[in-house]
Amino acid sequence: MKRQLIFLLLFVLFVITTAEWIGFQNITIGAITITLLPLVFAILITMVLGMKFFRQGFMKQIYSKANVSFASKYLIFIMLPLMARYGADVAPQINDILQVGWVFIIQDLGNLGTVLIGLPIAVFIGLRREAIGATLGIGREGELAYISEKYTLESKEGRGVLSIYIIGTLFGALFFSIFAPILLDLGLRPEALAMASGVGSSSMMTGASSTLVARLPEMESTILSYAAASQLLTSFLGTFTMIFLAVPLQRFMYKTLVRGDQS
Amino acid sequence: MTEKQGLPSYVKYALILLLSITLILFTQSIKLVFNPASTPVNSMTIAGLASLWLFSVIGIGISQLLNKTHIAVLKNFPILGWVSITSLVMCLLFDFFVTAIQAVDFLSITTPILTFAGISVADRLVDLRRTSWKVAIVAVFVFIGTYLGSALLAQFGLMVSGN
Repeated sequence: MKRQLIFLLLFVLFVITTAEWIGFQNITIGAITITLLPLVFAILITMVLGMKFFRQGFMKQIYSKANVSFASKYLIFIMLPLMARYGADVAPQINDILQVGWVFIIQDLGNLGTVLIGLPIAVFIGLRREAIGATLGIGREGELAYISEKYTLESKEGRGVLSIYIIGTLFGALFFSIFAPILLDLGLRPEALAMASGVGSSSMMTGASSTLVARLPEMESTILSYAAASQLLTSFLGTFTMIFLAVPLQRFMYKTLVRGDQS
Repeated sequence: MTEKQGLPSYVKYALILLLSITLILFTQSIKLVFNPASTPVNSMTIAGLASLWLFSVIGIGISQLLNKTHIAVLKNFPILGWVSITSLVMCLLFDFFVTAIQAVDFLSITTPILTFAGISVADRLVDLRRTSWKVAIVAVFVFIGTYLGSALLAQFGLMVSGN
């Protein structure tokens, strides 16, 4: 097991080197530029090589059960220095942030967009009870806990939230790192996009804010501090927003949509 | 759980954090090889990495202490949050930490994390088969919904406040 762990670490160094060697890549489609960062290549390489098809011989040693569970068990600790870095980004900007503090609070309500946009689409394409779990939020720990307590994870609602959880874990960071700069090209302000990056999942926030930084390096400190402050606020307010706003709103919309659907 | 030869958990956390900052240092150095114009590695960088390590350890400590309380909000607040708050407070108190930590290149912190994230989901790729394509479509709109919702409200708020 010790030896496998060394293989894993060497593999990590290899992936980092490859990802950094590929570096920044810009893909321009019309007016929209998609920026791919080394972090995107890092997650793509590790996910693709982790597929069953590639897991043979030496690769089987790297992606051994012990190594994969090591990575998932300690991922959160590997992330802690990043979270500490955000403190240093917020500190110099604290006055600016407090000045527009109320904007941070109202933008947190934007997380209701999961219900407002997601639920009608879900009902439209024929989902019913799964839609409750799938659109309550972006399916992070808070929603997972709420749905499993209320409906259990074996229920249809539970399956909905679990699916979003899996999809978010696999593709969340990737999705936001591509989506955030698209909105930038569509004319939204970087400050607003930075605040919105605090969606409640650290890897998704990293995906969104990193590409914004790559596109606007001169605004690095503003972007990172706004994203981090909003993320912190979401960690505090997220549960309350879900229980007191998202749940009642979802219940009302679900009833209306499904009734209209039957008549 | 398959614990390694009974190392106390805080020693293990400290070692994992050491691994994490070492990988950041490695990434920042490699970045310099491919792009000499990127953030240099100097003694400030090392001090910054040490600060990141220290604040992470303190954050873990706070979170473990509060785990024993019965106040749900404090108990359920993620370790990640405590680490950010610890670092924020220390950086507000001492400017040195800000200077040191900003000598650590931001994007060099992210590459190792996403490398680990990719490996950690390897065994869950098969779970994708159990999710339907319908939920996958909904997922896209759920992600768009939360981000666009927040971005539009923020844009509106900033406009109103004249910023």
